Amino acid sequence: MRARQAGTGGAAKKLVIKPLRAPSLPADFELATWHKLQAAVRAVHEKRPVESSLEELYRAVEDLCTHKMAAATYARLEHECEQHTERALRQLASASSSDPSAFLARVHGAWLDHCQQSLMIRSIFLVLDRTYPLQTAGVRSLWDMGLQHFRHHLLALPDVLVKTVGGVLLHVQRERQGEVIERSLLANLVRMFNALQVYAERFEGPLLEDTAAFYAAEATRLLDACAVGDYLRHVDTRLGDEAGRVHAYLHASTRKPLLAAVHAALLTPHAEALLERGFDALVEEARHADLRLMYSLYSHVGKLRLLKEAWAAHVKRVGSALVLDVEGEAGLIPRLLELKRACEELHVRAFERAEPFGYALREALEAVVNARANRPAELLAKFFDAQLRANAKGGGEEDVEHVLDAGISLFRYLSGKDLFEAFYKKDLAKRLLLGRSAHVDAEKLLVSKLKAECGAGFTNKLEGMFKDCELSAELTAAFHAAAPPLGLSDIELSTHVLTTGFWPPYPPIELNLPPQLCALQERFTAFYLGKHSGRRLTWVHALGHCVVRAQFAARAHELQLSTAQTVVCLLFNDAQQRALSLREIATGCGLEDKELRLTLQSLACGKVRVLVKEPRGREVDDGDAFSFHDGLQHKLHRIRVNTIQLRETAEEAEQTELKVCVDRQYQIDAAIVRTMKARKALSHTLLLTELYEQLKFPLTPVDLKKRIESLIDREYLERDPRAPSSYRYLA
Amino acid sequence: MAPPGLKVTVKRWSAVASWTWTADDDVCGICHMALDGCAPGAAGPGDDSPVVWGKCAHNFHLLCISTWLQSKTSCPICRRNWEFAPSAPPPSATLAEDG
Ligand SMILES: [Zn+2]
Ligand SMILES: [Zn+2]
Repeated sequence: MRARQAGTGGAAKKLVIKPLRAPSLPADFELATWHKLQAAVRAVHEKRPVESSLEELYRAVEDLCTHKMAAATYARLEHECEQHTERALRQLASASSSDPSAFLARVHGAWLDHCQQSLMIRSIFLVLDRTYPLQTAGVRSLWDMGLQHFRHHLLALPDVLVKTVGGVLLHVQRERQGEVIERSLLANLVRMFNALQVYAERFEGPLLEDTAAFYAAEATRLLDACAVGDYLRHVDTRLGDEAGRVHAYLHASTRKPLLAAVHAALLTPHAEALLERGFDALVEEARHADLRLMYSLYSHVGKLRLLKEAWAAHVKRVGSALVLDVEGEAGLIPRLLELKRACEELHVRAFERAEPFGYALREALEAVVNARANRPAELLAKFFDAQLRANAKGGGEEDVEHVLDAGISLFRYLSGKDLFEAFYKKDLAKRLLLGRSAHVDAEKLLVSKLKAECGAGFTNKLEGMFKDCELSAELTAAFHAAAPPLGLSDIELSTHVLTTGFWPPYPPIELNLPPQLCALQERFTAFYLGKHSGRRLTWVHALGHCVVRAQFAARAHELQLSTAQTVVCLLFNDAQQRALSLREIATGCGLEDKELRLTLQSLACGKVRVLVKEPRGREVDDGDAFSFHDGLQHKLHRIRVNTIQLRETAEEAEQTELKVCVDRQYQIDAAIVRTMKARKALSHTLLLTELYEQLKFPLTPVDLKKRIESLIDREYLERDPRAPSSYRYLA
Repeated sequence: MAPPGLKVTVKRWSAVASWTWTADDDVCGICHMALDGCAPGAAGPGDDSPVVWGKCAHNFHLLCISTWLQSKTSCPICRRNWEFAPSAPPPSATLAEDG
């Protein structure tokens, strides 16, 4: 019929044949033909050989179709098939096999029979299958018709389906417990569930419920029994097993919910407990692979925040313990650098460089570095000093830059950068003035790095110090060119002239310069003031030093001494061979008592003894007498004795800290006045908020409150009489 | 060479001195910052914040008095007509000479 409508050549041929055959059709044609076909269908269902040839049966169906008997034939065939399917399934229901494997095999057998028989019947009724269902609405293909009846009768026998699903689930369970099962049987049954459209409704739900129950029980059993790392690896193995299961015999759509069920049972409820129990140990033992696994597992269950917090807490705990360990503070900076390096390695190797983790790490390190006020800033400055000082251990320039970069990475976290600057400046001053800097290049490199971190305002003074050194070198050269030797001495003078605001403050020390040094100093002063009017020079003897030739019995040595040491030694030229008492030396050099004792101790009680103390001992006492140490022997020609100038006493450190505190008070006062002048009136809270924004060093509300009170006393501000805890600016 | 009999002779002396302005006041009358400190807007103290004297003997940061003189002509302290002194008044103790 369709062919005729299409009007092709083939259809035209059929039109010719049709009227020829029609008259010769016998009366019982339809029934006789059907009986032949019915016999064949029954033979197929009963697994007997079919008597007629396939060719003959095919022709018979074709004839029926040609004579418009397709609908009746289809109905007869459907009835025949349905009856058989019902019978076959009833047989399954009545089979009283207690062995689930045997039952599954029988179900599978029935299904296989159904499929094979359907295919065979379809090949006999091929002409019917290719024409009638396509032309008639609501009529299914023979294959679908067969499935429909199989599904219908299976659902009508709930026991069979329940037993089948139960059997499959039992096999899955056994496999999870380590048994080897017949995976192909399960794969076939799952295909059957799918073909019958019962997979999603009748199978997947129970499978997921079973999975959840199985792994919930497993979690309870394993959590206490194994270490966290082992547990995580077990979870990973389980996830791999389940994915393999999906691949081998489940439907692909089950993968996601199945893995989610495993996660939800093994991991989600225990994520926090696992961290509490084992995270610290994993980090301390640097178990990167386990931690990477943990990261990956936790990311699947949305628990990365917990992991991140555990890490931050760990870093804070370990780091703060280092910072608060007063005994071990000499090695604090290298230890912090090592902690930071280990954390960064972990971040890369286990936490996929995730930005939230990087942020948490930076925040934790900042808390660590500032866990103790002031001291870390000082220790970091000392760390840089040790790197930049001449004779510092270490390799080439690249190494130095590497170490400086590491130090800068900690500096970044310091909240008391002003305190760092004060200590750093003190050390830099000593390196520059005592000629102890290893490389000017490295010095300038570090200043440029500090500038990059904190801006020009921060390094302005440091750069000024370098500029002073350069100008001083020019000045010294000009002085030598302008001032011919005095004749009374051939001492070569070089002078560092410091701009007061750049350098740390140096308290003046009392010192009676001998005439030759005094004359030289006056000459230089006159030369300098001749170049710069409106200025005044103050000599800083604490940082001056001399190269001195000293004749000992064995040989002459060149000594590097501080100016004070030099002045003390020169007293022994006049003493001839006589010993000098403490009192005589004090009168001679004019040093203040404490300074005098330190200087004598450095000359007579250190490694190199230029003077001999009587009686011997490490301390300088009132009754001690000193004489020139003629018998000094040393393998080097040049000997440094002025290392005392490099040392920094606890007292000095305290003063530096104190000065920074005073500076901070000025800055707070200035910020309060500036803010109040601009805003006229502000509440206490708003004022504090503004101040926290403006001031870049650690502050407490108590500090700020004290400064506000002080400004009220000094009548810069007043309390607003109408609004409590508000202030008004007083012009 | 060391004169005979002397055990200790100085060969080289690396001395350190620091300089300040010879101003009578500690702070600038305009910005109230130390004269030896940094004037507001200047890059730094010292050469970057020069100090000048008026004929009235008052002194200020150069930067501060220059800004002041954009709108006024008198000394901010004594109100006399402002005139720059050619140089700082020589302090009695030093041997200053104009260069
Ligand atoms: Zn000023
Ligand atoms: Zn004046």
